[in-house]
Amino acid sequence: MSGSSAGPLALRLGALALVVVFFQIGVVSEVPVFGVNAELCALMVAFSGLLCGSMVGAVCGFAVGLFIDLALLQTLGLTSLIFTLVGYWCGRLRELRDPQGALTPLLVGVSASALSLIGYSLMEFMLGVDSPVSFQLLRVIVLGVVVNAIFALPMWALTRRALEAAMPEDPRRRRRRRAYTTGGLSPLTKA
Amino acid sequence: MYDKTVRRRRAVLALLVVLSLLLLTAYFGEAPGGRLHAIQRDFLTVVSPIQDGANKALKPVRDLFSWFGNTLHAKSQLAQALKQTERLRRELAAAQEGKRAYHELLALSHLDQLGVDSYRPVAATVIDKDPNVWYSTVVIDKGESSGVHRNDPVINEEGLVGKVAQAAPDGALVELLTNSSMGVSARIGTSHATGLVQPKVGDPNDLLLGYLPSNAQANPGEYVVTSGTVTPQYPSLFPPGLLIGQVTSVDEESAYKSVNVHPVANLHDLDIVQVLTAGAGSRAANLDQLPATLQAGQGPSTNGGEQLASTQQVGG
Repeated sequence: MSGSSAGPLALRLGALALVVVFFQIGVVSEVPVFGVNAELCALMVAFSGLLCGSMVGAVCGFAVGLFIDLALLQTLGLTSLIFTLVGYWCGRLRELRDPQGALTPLLVGVSASALSLIGYSLMEFMLGVDSPVSFQLLRVIVLGVVVNAIFALPMWALTRRALEAAMPEDPRRRRRRRAYTTGGLSPLTKA
Repeated sequence: MYDKTVRRRRAVLALLVVLSLLLLTAYFGEAPGGRLHAIQRDFLTVVSPIQDGANKALKPVRDLFSWFGNTLHAKSQLAQALKQTERLRRELAAAQEGKRAYHELLALSHLDQLGVDSYRPVAATVIDKDPNVWYSTVVIDKGESSGVHRNDPVINEEGLVGKVAQAAPDGALVELLTNSSMGVSARIGTSHATGLVQPKVGDPNDLLLGYLPSNAQANPGEYVVTSGTVTPQYPSLFPPGLLIGQVTSVDEESAYKSVNVHPVANLHDLDIVQVLTAGAGSRAANLDQLPATLQAGQGPSTNGGEQLASTQQVGG
């Protein structure tokens, strides 16, 4: 990422993260859907990685996780560790596969939610919460993933709208877009 | 160029993971008065006005979403509520008679029971909720500056909600009843048998009243209330008679009878709560000073179990 685009992108990412975190803890955490709450922060981190790459995803995940841990007086480092890995993984997915399907954000959102919920549960067990894996817990995790799937596409649209203007042009996407608009070949090649 | 990018990417990931693990280890290992906890409290002091403002600004949005859910549930709850009102009316008449007799006996025996009236209730607004799957803590907008201290009981209009786990100057962390470190000595309705209410293992939304004597009577639908102090050497954090939940089923398979309890307070929808604060020298304040010498598995000594649960510090 060029230095000129890093500043505006960081600003936009920071503002988006603040809005999403406050909306998550102020509204979404208090409105259960099917008995569970959506995790917009995990989705936002995942989509930041998917749009901007692994390094931005990891840094964004760490910062958002640390903010949540500090603001909610939770175990420091727990959410930041999970969100760092989620952001990094989604960024690597973009760098290695660059998926373009319409359902990609949905699948990435579902996977990131599952990763974050299972990771959080595992970490809680490791840190001494006395609860074995039960049907109830699995139900909560599965429902959490389903609810996040509902919010995945709107969250993707919001994240993309907020970040796209500050993102550097990706040569691979530019080539693909040109090939698409010219029917697969450039006019020069046809000639 | 490519190698440099790859190396930088891996270095950033490693740095962030190591930093997270260091924070996790240091935070989990330190005492509640440690440096990281202090930083967290200072951070809360800084952001709590923002959170409070955001919470108030977003309340209409929250209410709108809640309205849809509540409307769907209201009809199904109406018939149940009418039936319950009938039953409660009958129980109220019996309870009023019981209360009169209780006060007479109390005056006769000169018992020094600390009831809710002896506490100074402080109303607080829930400004943050734990957004993860466990839903076991909330943050309120009142802290040490309002007289809120660690271990103070927290209630709402429905019943017992939890206790204060950490207090900052302008905010406090409340551990809900469903938090794994919670334990409350309790009894069923009019029964004298006491047990320990703890979160149900594997079900973060339900409670289990354990360590009840095998001959204790328990029927589904009966209410579970705090028992208060049973033995003076193990004073309870919670005043007697606070409503905790309703018996849903009874498990008689183990040596001690245990009862499944559904909390009456809707822990997913907390808005305004009351912290029962008490001055220095109170039970809550004194318990903070207790050494954590109690060992697990002390059997049915319920207040000991409550102390053990309250002195254990499970992070988060």
